[in-house]
Parts: sequence; structure tokens; C-alpha cells
Amino acid sequence: MTQHETTKPFDVIIIGGGATGAGTARDCSRRGLRVLLVERFDISTGATGRNHGLLHSGARYAVTDQESAEECIKENMILRKIASHCVEETDGLFLTLPEDDIQFQSKFVDACRQAGIRADVIDPKDALKMEPSANPNIIGAVRVPDGAVDPFRLTASNIMDAKLHGAEVLTYHEVTELIREQDRIVGIKVLDHKTKETKSYYSSVVVNAGGIWGHNIAKLAGVNINMLPAKGALLIFGHRVNNIVLNRCRKPADADILVPGDTICLIGTTSSKVPYEEVDNMYVTPEEVDLLLREGEKLSPQLAQTRILRAYAGVRPLVASDDDPSGRNVSRGIVLLDHATRDGLEGFVTITGGKLMTYRLMSEWTTDLVCKKLNVTVPCTTASEKLPGSRENTEEISKKIISVPLAQRNATINRHGDMADKFSENTPLDNSLICECEEVSVGEAKYALNELDVNNLVDLRRRTRVGMGTCQGELCACRAAGLMSNMKKACTKRAKADLTSFLNERWKGMAPIAWGDTLRESEYTAWIYEGVCGLTSSSKE
Amino acid sequence: MKFDTIIIGGGLSGLISGIRLSKQGQRCVIISSGQSALHFSSGSFDLLNTLPDGNSVNNPIEAIEELAKQAPTHPYTKLGSNKFSQLAKEAENFLKEVGISVKGDARKNHFRMTPMGTLKPTWLTLEDHMQGENADRISWKKISIFNVTGFLDFYTQFIVDELAKIGTTCTTYLINFPALEHLRKNPTEMRSVNIARVFDNQENLDEFARQIKAENGDCEIIALPAIVGLSRKDAVTYLQKEIGKPICLLPTLPPSVPGIQVQQQLRARFQEAGGVFMLGDIVIRAEKEDNRISRIYTNNHGDIPFSGKNVILATGSYFSQGLIADTERVYEPIFDLDVTFSSNREQWYDRNAFAAQPYQTFGVRTDKDFRGLYKGEAIENLYISGAILEGFNAIKEGCGAGVSILSALYVADRISSK
Repeated sequence: MTQHETTKPFDVIIIGGGATGAGTARDCSRRGLRVLLVERFDISTGATGRNHGLLHSGARYAVTDQESAEECIKENMILRKIASHCVEETDGLFLTLPEDDIQFQSKFVDACRQAGIRADVIDPKDALKMEPSANPNIIGAVRVPDGAVDPFRLTASNIMDAKLHGAEVLTYHEVTELIREQDRIVGIKVLDHKTKETKSYYSSVVVNAGGIWGHNIAKLAGVNINMLPAKGALLIFGHRVNNIVLNRCRKPADADILVPGDTICLIGTTSSKVPYEEVDNMYVTPEEVDLLLREGEKLSPQLAQTRILRAYAGVRPLVASDDDPSGRNVSRGIVLLDHATRDGLEGFVTITGGKLMTYRLMSEWTTDLVCKKLNVTVPCTTASEKLPGSRENTEEISKKIISVPLAQRNATINRHGDMADKFSENTPLDNSLICECEEVSVGEAKYALNELDVNNLVDLRRRTRVGMGTCQGELCACRAAGLMSNMKKACTKRAKADLTSFLNERWKGMAPIAWGDTLRESEYTAWIYEGVCGLTSSSKE
Repeated sequence: MKFDTIIIGGGLSGLISGIRLSKQGQRCVIISSGQSALHFSSGSFDLLNTLPDGNSVNNPIEAIEELAKQAPTHPYTKLGSNKFSQLAKEAENFLKEVGISVKGDARKNHFRMTPMGTLKPTWLTLEDHMQGENADRISWKKISIFNVTGFLDFYTQFIVDELAKIGTTCTTYLINFPALEHLRKNPTEMRSVNIARVFDNQENLDEFARQIKAENGDCEIIALPAIVGLSRKDAVTYLQKEIGKPICLLPTLPPSVPGIQVQQQLRARFQEAGGVFMLGDIVIRAEKEDNRISRIYTNNHGDIPFSGKNVILATGSYFSQGLIADTERVYEPIFDLDVTFSSNREQWYDRNAFAAQPYQTFGVRTDKDFRGLYKGEAIENLYISGAILEGFNAIKEGCGAGVSILSALYVADRISSK
């Protein structure tokens, strides 16, 4: 192991490549700060990439938490403008089933309106015309401005904008130590997972945006934050059953939201406390799967006949209130901790709690605090300036890349927004498909490999959806591995190791739901990779 | 419709018992839903590569006694050591007789090349495929590997790097083949079988030969992905003659051109021997009388039943839907035969994708004669062969093709000796 010293200090180092870290990097860099973002794996690997992808209207929180509801609807409207290529304006319905209390509906509508959320009570018959997949037995329906948001794209374009404004981004760099001088944090030590080197970086402020892992990062600074990991399991279905987000009109409970996204839809979530030690190994249990299916079918009976692609779980970073050491009093709102005032430790800030919907607001608050510490007075622009990908009219882009076959063109624009104009020079070979399910071409994979910090196949999946479709990576994984080694992005040995990890990662999501066609696909995948190709787990590095 | 034997399933196992019985003068029908595991063949047939405890097998015949200790319900254990070696020998002859040229010997596994460039033990390999006697070297020091532009299911670099490790130098060539232009324009079309159709055309094959001949350096042998010879068996021989150098094929990702070729050939032999092949039909239900299957009803034939003295069930495992899993159980959908499986779903899987998966060993229970059990009792005239059988892990043990072929020959013998 070698020691690598970097002398040039940054203004701010942000730890964590989720939506909040990426958003903070964007905001700080747009305000002229010299920014370094470090992430131990790839971007959006934590809770950011493991949720519904719901563009909350805030309606869900209206009855129980007005403050969160108001934040949500404001951010909802902002994201529609600044991140249009990551957002699908589907609208949402809050359905009352015969077993639910219809009295709750008026309370719900009042609370929504009070929070500034448009909520229209509609006739259940009209609701069923709008969304034919909904349970035909509903006795009430309210329409709200919910939507769908792709958290991978959202995070990636925040990173892209941060880099355009000079930020440096290091993925696969894990913080091992916070460098302390008296009562001040002055930098970090990181382990580069690719080279196994240890490096030091210095900055005036260090921001802890590590989500649930922020608990351990704070510990490195000798600071205690009482975090309560809450596991939420979800199921992804193989096709898009609904076009409008479906919610249950009742107090928030398990499995009461069905969100459409791209070619699929998602039901979730469960909620259970888990010990902190388990947050890196979240498995979905058969009981959770059964519960999600049982409740999901109540929203849309069609789910009973729809194939499940994958089960996964994320961990919400809930924080116990500082004045309640028992940890029972949990805040679901945004928690911004200035450790100078809280713990007498300068140069260290923690941003946690909150939700994907409020990532931008969390970033703004954090950046405001960082700027205050650095005496910078530049105002925040992230609510008005559009993100890369959302800046140009997609019809214009479509004309620019007219040589790309139609289905592929639409998929590409859908995924990359105006960045799709990079594909205008595509040759027929670039148009060859790696992944038929998701229409991912050689050209798109090349773009992701060259420009979107892709280190391995799982990263590539997060940027392009390779292997996310019904086949779950049967052939496309091998094609993509081949492409990576052909592009000299990886030696063949690494490409194979990568393929092994990719398949293991996929299996983790498939095993909880491996019956019916999913088991057929799993058997087929095993035949191809272990049987025909002779891949073994020892192909790992 | 009356037959001597009704065979359900048109994959490797069903076809082999069908040919065997038809040649003995039986009137047979094969009811086939379509695709089979041959569509993703590697170009080789495995007999037994590894014991359940992970020890590798050099001589499958000698390993059967140890296998019997480790896997009491394994189809090979049911056959027993003597029958196993007799059937393995018969299988080698059988394939030759039906015109499938293979190399290999059940007394010593040889090695085939994988699409990842590694060498994997196997029993029989199609003659035109690359193979060798050793796990750590091949017979050539200089190979020229050709691929066609735009074909993504074959990556030469994997092979080049692996072979470099064992002292063989490969030079790669990419041919931009004009006749493939129309396939390349539609990005989903550049797949092995579509390319092979182009090379089934004589002019295209000649042009391919000319281009390979023009630039293959001073190699000892030329290697091609298995994208020739879909409908003409002699494609490799023809190219060799035209180019004047030995040529061998390397497996691609599915679909497998050689696998489909083998299936077509077996089907032709079956029909030549008088068998009736019903493609695209599915058995819906069956009737029983006196513990015998008396009638079988299919999708395409509605109320008209098939009846036969004997029935062979060779419908494959999950992929081919011979076995079906739902949230609670694994079952056999036609006769509801007894199936071994764990009632706790969590025990079907190992969390590590590359570990032995318990679900792989689930399957239909049989008696010693491979007759299917229903509520513990063997059905008099219902024989089971191939991947649907219980007690083995085809992938981990490398025994899938062997189980299919040997059990097919065995049940055919049981039926004809009745």
C-alpha cells in the first residue's frame, strides 16, 4: 500500500455519491467552490437507487407531516422544470378500497390543500377510465400531481453539472479517516478500491452526505449521530401495469404505492428496523415478497398475473432527535447538523434524513451553511438552472440523431435527454444492440463508458439500463463485458470478474422471487454462463 | 391416433429414444413444443465432469461408484456402473450411426473451448469444433481467429488472452462482409442463426472462403465462431478444402448453430425411420386406466386422443417447462407425478449465484426402470428421461447431455424388451 499526498486543498469535500451528495457537489461548484466528491462504490448505490422512484406530490405526508408535504410539492414543481428528462408527469391517484375508511378522504384532501398540493376528488368510475388497471372495487379516488423520477439519471446529471463547473469526482474511493487538527476537520484519507492506494485530501469543510453510512463517517470524527436503519423492500414488475401512480388513501402503511417507470412498475415498500450491522447486506425475505404481492394486488389486481423481475431493499437514514437518546422520537424531515455548534468540531457538516424528493433542498441548505463558513455570498441557482440533459427540446434532439433507429432513438432520449445528441455521429455498428429488452446500443454503452464514470457492468447498468429488462442480463451482460474489454476499459480478466459480480448482483434480486418464468430465466442464465461459457465464481479477482 | 410409443418432448432425449424405437420397427410419435436445450448447446456433450462434492472427474466410468455414494437418486446411480458404461459406449456408436460426427471417449474426458477462451472438460465434441486432450495446452501455437463485423455474441479478445496464457498466439481478423449489411441495419438481427443462413448460400460461403484465404497469415489453424453450417453439414469441410488449411469452430452465445443443426439432423433421422414428429403441439392432459396412461390430449388435436402402449416423458426441466415452479411447490404439469423439492422456498436457492443451486436437483421421481411415480407408485407404461429427472445437477456436475442420452437409450431398451 502506498501513501499518496495531495497538497492542493479543496474548499469542500463531499462524502457520498447519492442524490444529496451529488446535488451538494452541483450547488457548491455552481457557487464557485472547489469541490471534491468521494464515493466508496458507484453513484446512487445506497438509498438513492433503492426506492420507488416516486416524484412525490407530498400528498402522502399531508395528513401526518405538513412540513414534509410542503417541501415535497415545492421540489416536485422544481424538478419538473430542471430535470424534465428524469421526470415523467404521470399524476397520481389516491384510492379508497372498500376495506378503507372513506372518512379519511376529506381529511386527506383538506391537508393536501393546506400544504399547497392540488387534490381533486374524482368519481371512482372516472378514475377507472383514467387508470384501467386500478382495482375496480374502489369507492373513492383523489387525483394529485405525483409523478415518476429516475434517481439514477437524476444523480448522474447532477454529477455531470458539478463536473462541468469544475468539481472532481472520485468513485470507488472509501473514506477511512477524517483528518483532524485540534478542534477542526481538515481533510480525509481515502482508500482507492481500484488501485488499493491510500490518499489524503484537504479542504476547509467536509460534508458528510453518506446516508445511513453517515453514521459511521460521523464516528470517524468522534461524533455520535443516532441513526436508525429502516429497511424498505420493493418489487419490480416486468411490464408497466399502470400509467398513473397508485396510492392507498389511508395513513401510510406497507406496500401502498405502485409507481410506473420506463417499461416497468414498482410496488413498495415494507418498513422494518434492522440492526446497523446488516445495512450492507439487505436481503428480501419470502415474507416481505408475499406481503408486497398481497397488498399490491389490492391496488391493481393485474399484478397477480404480472411477472416479477426483481426484489430489492433500501435503507432509509432515519435520525433520532438529539434530545431523545432512546431513539424513539424519529425525525423524517431534513437533518442538517453543524458539528461546530453541536459538538464543538469545526469544518464538519452532516446532512441526512430527508428523502429523494428533497435532495435539492437538502443540498441548498448544506451549501448555504458551507458558504457561510467560507464567507461566500453567491446565491443558489439550482432551483432555476436546468440540469444537463433537460436543457434542449427533445424533438430537436430526435431530429439530430435521425440515423438512429426509432425505438433506440426514443429509448436513448428518454435516458439521456439532450445528451443524446452525442449519438448523431453514430455508425451503423454503434447502432447494434447490446441489450434488446432495453434498446441499449453499442454507441450508448460507449458514451457511458467514456463519459459517465463507469467502472464496471453494474455501473453501466445504472447509466443505461443494460440488463434491467425482462431477461435480467442474460446475453447483454456478456456482450457488454466484451465491449468493455474491446474498448480497453478493462482487461479480459477484469471483464470476466466483472461479469461474475454482475450476475451475482442480479441473482441477489432474483432469488427472492425465483419461481415461474423467473426461475426459467435463472436456469437458462446458469446454463449459458456456467455451462456453455464455463464461468465460475473463481473467475473473480 | 394409435402408436406403439408416444414421446412427449422433442429435445435430445426424446429424439434419441424416438430414433432407437423407430429403427426397431415401432410406430412412434414425438410431440414437441418447439425449442429445446440443444438451441443453446456448446457443440459438446458432457457425461460427468465433477462429483457433487466438487472433485473433478477424469474417467466418468470409474467415477460412477463414488457418485452412487454421494448421489443416491442420481439417474446414473439408478443405472449402476455396468449399465452406465455399456450405455455410454452405445451412445458413442449411436451418434456415429445417425451421422453426428463426434470425438471423445467415456473413459477419459477431453477438453473443449468455451466462448470465454477457457478449456472445459467434456465427453463428446462435434468433430469440426476446437478440442484437445489437456486442460493446460492445445495442439497449436499459432491460430488465426476470424469474426464478422457487428457480431456481438463472440468476443475474440477473451479467447486471445486465455490462449496466450497457455502459449498459443492468436491473430484476429474482422471481416466486413457485404452480404451481412442488411442484417446489420436491423440491430436485433445480427445473431448467429441469421448469419449462418447467409452463409448457407453457396456464393456467400465462397466469398467468405476467398476473404479468409486472402489474409490468414502463417497460422497452423483457422478458428471461426460457429456461424456456418446451419443447413449444410459440410460447411467446414468445404471451407477447409477451399482455403487449404485446417479450420475449427468455436462456440458463440446462443442460439447455437451447431446445436440446432444436431436437432434438425436427429429429427430427420427419426422421420426417415418412420416416426411422426408433431411440432408446436403441447400435451394438455392425460387419462389413466388400471395404472396405465391410456389417452393423451394435446392443444392442436383437441378431442382426438393419442393412445400408445408406452409413453416417454422427456419434457425437460424448468426452462422447457417440464417442471413448473410456483410460490409454493415444484410440479410436473401433465401427469402430476411425484416431484422431489423442498417445501421451504428459501431452501431452493443459494445466495451465491455460482454455488450449486438446490432447485437444480429437483425433479420427477422414478423407480429403478425409470418409470414415473404417482403417489409413490410407478405408472406401468410411463417412462421418464432427460432433464426432468430428479437427483442431479446438470450444470455443476457437467452431466446434462449424458443424462439425456443415456436415460433415453435406457428407457427405449426397457420398452423394446417388454
